[in-house]
Amino acid sequence: MASTRALWILAFVTLFATTSLTNAATITYDFDISWVTANPDGLANRPTIGINGQWPIPRIEADVGDRIIVNVVNSLGNQSTSLHFHGLFMNGSTHMDGPSQTTQCPIPPGGRFTYNFTIEQPGTYWYHSHTHGQYPDGLRGPLIVRDPENPFKEMYDEELVLTVSDWYHDQMPGLLSFFMSKANPTGAEPVPNSALLNETQDLKIAVQAGKTYLFRMINIGAFAGQYVWFEGHNMTILEVDGVYTQPAVASMIYLSAAQRCSFLITAKENSSTNFPIVASMDTDLFDKLPDDLNWNVTGWLEYDSKAPYPTPKVLDQPFEPFDDMKLASWDTQALLGEPDQVVTLNVIMDNLGDGANYAFFNNITYTSPKVPTLYTALTAGELASEAAVYGEYTHSFVLERGQVVELVVNNLDSGKHPFHLHGHNFQAVWRSEEEAGTFGDSNVTSEEFTKIPMRRDTIVLFPEGNIVLRFKADNPGVWLFHCHIEWHVQSGLMATFVEAPLDLQKTLQIPDDHYAACKASGIPTEGNAAANTVNLLDLSGQNTPPGPLPTGFTTRGIVALVFSCISGILGVAVVAWYGFADVGDDKSSPVSVSRVAAKGVYEQPAASLGEDSVSAPGVGNVGADRDEISAVGGGSGKPVSA
Amino acid sequence: MADDIFSVPVFLVVFRESLEAVIVVSILLAFLKQTLDGPNGDKTAYKKLVRQVWLGTALGLLICLIIGGALIGVFYTIGVNKWELSENNYEGAFCLIASVIITFVGAALLRIGKMQEKWRVKLAASLETPLSMTGPAGRWSAVKRFFEKYAMFGLPFVTVLREGIEAIVFVAGVSFQAPAKSVPLPVVVGLLVGLAVGYMLYRGGSSTRLQIFLVVSTCLLYLVAAGLFSRAVWAFEAQRWSTTIGGDAAEIGNGPGSYDIDNSVWHVNCCSPELNGGGGWGFFKAILGWTNSATYGSVISYNVYWIFVILGFLALRYREVKGHWPLMATPEPQEVVLTTEDAGVKGLQK
Repeated sequence: MASTRALWILAFVTLFATTSLTNAATITYDFDISWVTANPDGLANRPTIGINGQWPIPRIEADVGDRIIVNVVNSLGNQSTSLHFHGLFMNGSTHMDGPSQTTQCPIPPGGRFTYNFTIEQPGTYWYHSHTHGQYPDGLRGPLIVRDPENPFKEMYDEELVLTVSDWYHDQMPGLLSFFMSKANPTGAEPVPNSALLNETQDLKIAVQAGKTYLFRMINIGAFAGQYVWFEGHNMTILEVDGVYTQPAVASMIYLSAAQRCSFLITAKENSSTNFPIVASMDTDLFDKLPDDLNWNVTGWLEYDSKAPYPTPKVLDQPFEPFDDMKLASWDTQALLGEPDQVVTLNVIMDNLGDGANYAFFNNITYTSPKVPTLYTALTAGELASEAAVYGEYTHSFVLERGQVVELVVNNLDSGKHPFHLHGHNFQAVWRSEEEAGTFGDSNVTSEEFTKIPMRRDTIVLFPEGNIVLRFKADNPGVWLFHCHIEWHVQSGLMATFVEAPLDLQKTLQIPDDHYAACKASGIPTEGNAAANTVNLLDLSGQNTPPGPLPTGFTTRGIVALVFSCISGILGVAVVAWYGFADVGDDKSSPVSVSRVAAKGVYEQPAASLGEDSVSAPGVGNVGADRDEISAVGGGSGKPVSA
Repeated sequence: MADDIFSVPVFLVVFRESLEAVIVVSILLAFLKQTLDGPNGDKTAYKKLVRQVWLGTALGLLICLIIGGALIGVFYTIGVNKWELSENNYEGAFCLIASVIITFVGAALLRIGKMQEKWRVKLAASLETPLSMTGPAGRWSAVKRFFEKYAMFGLPFVTVLREGIEAIVFVAGVSFQAPAKSVPLPVVVGLLVGLAVGYMLYRGGSSTRLQIFLVVSTCLLYLVAAGLFSRAVWAFEAQRWSTTIGGDAAEIGNGPGSYDIDNSVWHVNCCSPELNGGGGWGFFKAILGWTNSATYGSVISYNVYWIFVILGFLALRYREVKGHWPLMATPEPQEVVLTTEDAGVKGLQK
């Protein structure tokens, strides 16, 4: 499979190689998105979303400055889709960013849609579906932007792309409906069935002794962060998320879902063996570890295909991955100045009225608006500067052009969350340890912020810790900020930044095929989040999440309780009434025994048994029954012979 | 007096069973006194038979204690964990059994005189029967002869044993989902109260006070039974829910996810009778069937139970007054003329 893909890419590369060397090229991809069958871990065949009948899907490659045109046909038949080009700024083309109901309508089955944008950033990216938690079903692949002015290009001989990912045997729609159900009240994310390297296992990467390779590594998984190490080799980190860094040597790195890292691996001068490459899923994320789960995936640096492929050594110490906060950007961009706007988001998990577990920024769980947020920004006129028109549940913040924005995220949850910002790299100026509490309570001042901070577009927030990010609002558009664990995207851990909406109104032209996708699905393209075009501040009818769980007695409960009390009291009354009733005229005895007949037959009737000492006279008026008892004695009781 | 030191069902069962045993023993003693202790009685036989009665009682009690001890030993060595996975199913089953037992015991308690009668009839019949038999030879006849000879031993022995084992089985059932410390006190109190009431019956003491006591305690019994019935349904539902969420809902505690929102009638995040021993709410649960998380099933079953009990007592009373069940034709008066022993015995034994 890898070889066919390589050929396929080679075809494109050779096609445009000549032009791209001289000036900016236009690279066109025709992507027919459809179902194929795949079995990358050898454990289960499953329907997988491929492109042009292939999976893994093709790599998108370009040079800095190239224009990319992707003509999409959705041939899935049963699902709508969209493509997000992860990490690209989409400057001037926010409508090509891809998230459904944010910058476009989902491409319906049978629909056609063209993405058209230029790339100004070098580095390692990826593209994936941004609709309905779809990409883990296969629609995820690398996007590599080569840089003729790469400052490190003299340091390596060859480039290799290496993806790491998690893999489910079940399709996302079923997993999601379980995940977001009352049957999963703790919000336990489905645990992957396997880990993959380059969407396969037992990958062999041929290397030549003494050569240095640039590995562009991407975690294209849905959920699991991965620890990655190369036995016997150190990594020299040169780039994270498309940003060149000062070279830094690491023996192990951690890549969360959506993070990328480029690093150099220098092959040994001579080696009689091959070396394992190990990616190990971060099992801290999993609520439970199924017995049959192998959370590691192994590949090899293949020095000699005849040499042994040893199994990886078991680590005798806890994972100690390189701390990415120690990285500094290559361009030494200084810490942005004091912010013009501070946005504080607290990460909370809680259950709503349908019993399912939702994720919240502050008190809001993201719910898609009726009108894609970008279209609201374009049609709301002056009111586009009011966050209210985007609806309460898109959790929108309007940014003015040029503002320095500080984003403080406090994790009140006990899980790790890799947060991703669309349309920007942010400066990661502060990250606390685990369980440090909120930033506000921590007494950390901007004096302690990193002076030359690392920039990236996806960063891990530690359990019950906090992060502080800064970025400059220099890219008009509508940009999501969300946890890149796909489960949490669905459970609502997402906010929206609407950046310079009035500028967008002046500059942006939405192509007809974008509107056609909306029309085909009956999605409105004008008005506020509730599709109200007359009074834009009237959000009645907007999409809302389920209400909160009832905290105590509802009307229903009170009625039930009152009824139960009445039945109880009534019942006790009846029992008491029966208990005190006079049983003197009890006619219920099935047999009324005639004493007369027995009279005289027995000399000493055992009647005395009942008459004199045993019965409790008066208790339930037992006395009244005494006659019958006497008769019993008389009728049946011959004097007992000892 | 919370649920965790005084299990109400245990008390009631022990009370009821010991009361019944006392009634049997007291009837036998009275019977012997009347027949043999008179001026023209056989003093020797009387003493011998009284000794048999007490011996039977004592032996029955002893075996009960041994079985009870063994059972408790088994329960606590095997451990409750074995049942943990479907704990709620067991709880539901035991609650249901307890509820049914109490429901029928309660009606009998209100007509405690009838209980005495029943035993009198039974005892009379069983004392009578051997004599009317002309048994075939063989092993069985030997056994029969033995019981004929030692009827005064056998009856209390069997009765005490039976009532005792009934009590033990039930107490074990209840105690294995209740904390162990909730068992001893109600067992002792139940025994004492059972003995006291039995003795009062025997002595024919203050009858009005006894009746009030019986009525009040029976009302309490029915409140408990209604709660248990509702709780049985609740427990079955809780088991299903626990299975649905793939684990033990109790581990989630009291909050979201510990109950099925679509089946919930009320859920208050307090006042749980389950957590931390329940405190006062545990007492409410034991007596009134309170739960902080009511379901449609538990509420409906609680009300249905009371409707059943109300209708049942109305019907019982109707039968007492009219001589037949409501909605049924008046039966022909059944006059059994006791001209022979056989007719009498059969008629009474039904």
